[in-house]
Amino acid sequence: MAMNSIEIRGLTKIYSSGIRKKTVQALVDLTLLIERGIIFGLLGPNGAGKTTLVKILLGITFPSAGDAKILNEEISNYHVKTKVGYLPENHRYPPYLTGGEVLRFFGRLSGVSGIHLEKKIDELLELVKLSNWKKAKVKTYSKGMMQRLGLAQALINDPELIFLDEPTDGVDPLGRKEIREILVELKNKSKTIFLNSHLLSEVELISDRVGILNKGRLIREGTVTELTEKKEEYVIKLEAGSGEDFLKALNFSRVKEDSYFVRVSDTFELNKLIDRIRTHGIVIKEIIKQKASLEEMFISLITEAEKEERK
Amino acid sequence: MRNVLLIISYTLRESFARKVFIFFFGISCFSLIITGLIFGLADTESILNSFFRSTENLSGNIVMMIEFTIVSPLASLGLLLSIFSASSFIPVLLEKGNIDLFLSKPLSRPQLILGKYFGGLLVVFINIAFLVLGIWIIISWKFSYWNPDFLWTIATITFTFAVLYSLIVFFGIITRGSLLGMMTAYFIFIILSPLLHAFVEQFSGFIKNGMIKKVAEILYYIIPKTSELMGKINLDIAQGKGIADFQPVISSFLFLILMLLFSIFLFQKKDF
Repeated sequence: MAMNSIEIRGLTKIYSSGIRKKTVQALVDLTLLIERGIIFGLLGPNGAGKTTLVKILLGITFPSAGDAKILNEEISNYHVKTKVGYLPENHRYPPYLTGGEVLRFFGRLSGVSGIHLEKKIDELLELVKLSNWKKAKVKTYSKGMMQRLGLAQALINDPELIFLDEPTDGVDPLGRKEIREILVELKNKSKTIFLNSHLLSEVELISDRVGILNKGRLIREGTVTELTEKKEEYVIKLEAGSGEDFLKALNFSRVKEDSYFVRVSDTFELNKLIDRIRTHGIVIKEIIKQKASLEEMFISLITEAEKEERK
Repeated sequence: MRNVLLIISYTLRESFARKVFIFFFGISCFSLIITGLIFGLADTESILNSFFRSTENLSGNIVMMIEFTIVSPLASLGLLLSIFSASSFIPVLLEKGNIDLFLSKPLSRPQLILGKYFGGLLVVFINIAFLVLGIWIIISWKFSYWNPDFLWTIATITFTFAVLYSLIVFFGIITRGSLLGMMTAYFIFIILSPLLHAFVEQFSGFIKNGMIKKVAEILYYIIPKTSELMGKINLDIAQGKGIADFQPVISSFLFLILMLLFSIFLFQKKDF
């Protein structure tokens, strides 16, 4: 059985504010297990509770109910954070520090020191392509550079578990690709990455598992394939020019030349259809199970959840 | 301990990046230059002899009084500037995107608050020590009279700031802003403490209303006694007389401890 990096059981967070103590449920009875060594993408519309969840796991915010463990330790144990990295959304570094000084300070706070720290600073600045900016004050950095410095900061203690909140925010397309490559490389080194992002295409590209959060509830969780797979929808590719009339008679709709779309109720029905096509002497080249994009799936899930709520 | 020291050094770095501390340092330098020039040019020995027919002891007291007369207003000004500058240490720490980073690191919340508190204190200590030490060296050298007791004023002034700073930290955590803490500290330092001190020492006999008398006395014991700390106690210590009445020191110290404990308690429970 794979070890878990994160174990969340029945986590609830209720914020109350104002004199009348108006309450907002940011997280509702959330249970989630995240295996070690994977990239987990957490998706959700604004205000879904994504950042609240990360903040609770890091002890920045306290849960109203439920409990959670990271790297097998209770989240209340701050010592576990020596093995954790975090890039917050809209992070602010002291403008009077240089990039190198930021990494040195947060590295020391994370328990790294001496030659090892200096080596790590150079290595990480090289990785995020900021080596030439090591001695420049961070107030001169662009938004994209700040994000890259933030990523380096999150990796300074060589963490086993990395939380990244919108890591590519403000980064140009090339920079995003580089960050994605870094994350995949980290995963290959058995690091666990918890990724909060609005960019669905990005999450789809690199995440092993995805969770969808809406109004504090985890409404779906699984691999990208599981989530995007359309049930019993297929495209069948045939040998050029064969069986067009026959397939039309069977209610197949043509999607491309020699490719036909069909929706069936189950696999048994699909097999029956294949048998009929084959007995008619038509040569099948390929049967492709249809997938939705993560974005399509996300929008349909959130719309469904909202419809349910209105009922 | 390592984490607290790291936060202290970070706070020191933060303060150097602020103009108010540089301004304070500039005023100290300017004051030292002016003092140096005045006492370099003046024939102070003949002045002392003609006015006081000085014995060694008498000139010692006069030297101390001169030192104290110069340091006292400068230290008060320095304290006002320090309150102004240090009041933003906690609100800046608690800004979104900044506090998240600190709390995601392996350090406890009390360590963070104590680091910020002692960091602010160290900055003020350095500034005050520079000013007092400078004036002490110039005047002692000029009069060839070295009274090391005068240097105790560094401790009393820093302690006075420590008490007020604990209040600033407390309000900083509650409001996440600097205004309330700063205004309260100024109010206590400039108005309330001198008023309550004067009331207890001089006017309480004239007040007939028992209720008002009681409230003023209770307030006197609760509110830190910055007036006595910067006044009589500071002067007595500088003269080497020691502290005659420890009550203002102890009650102010208890206030400091309580404020810090409340601050840590609140900070431990706060969501960011």
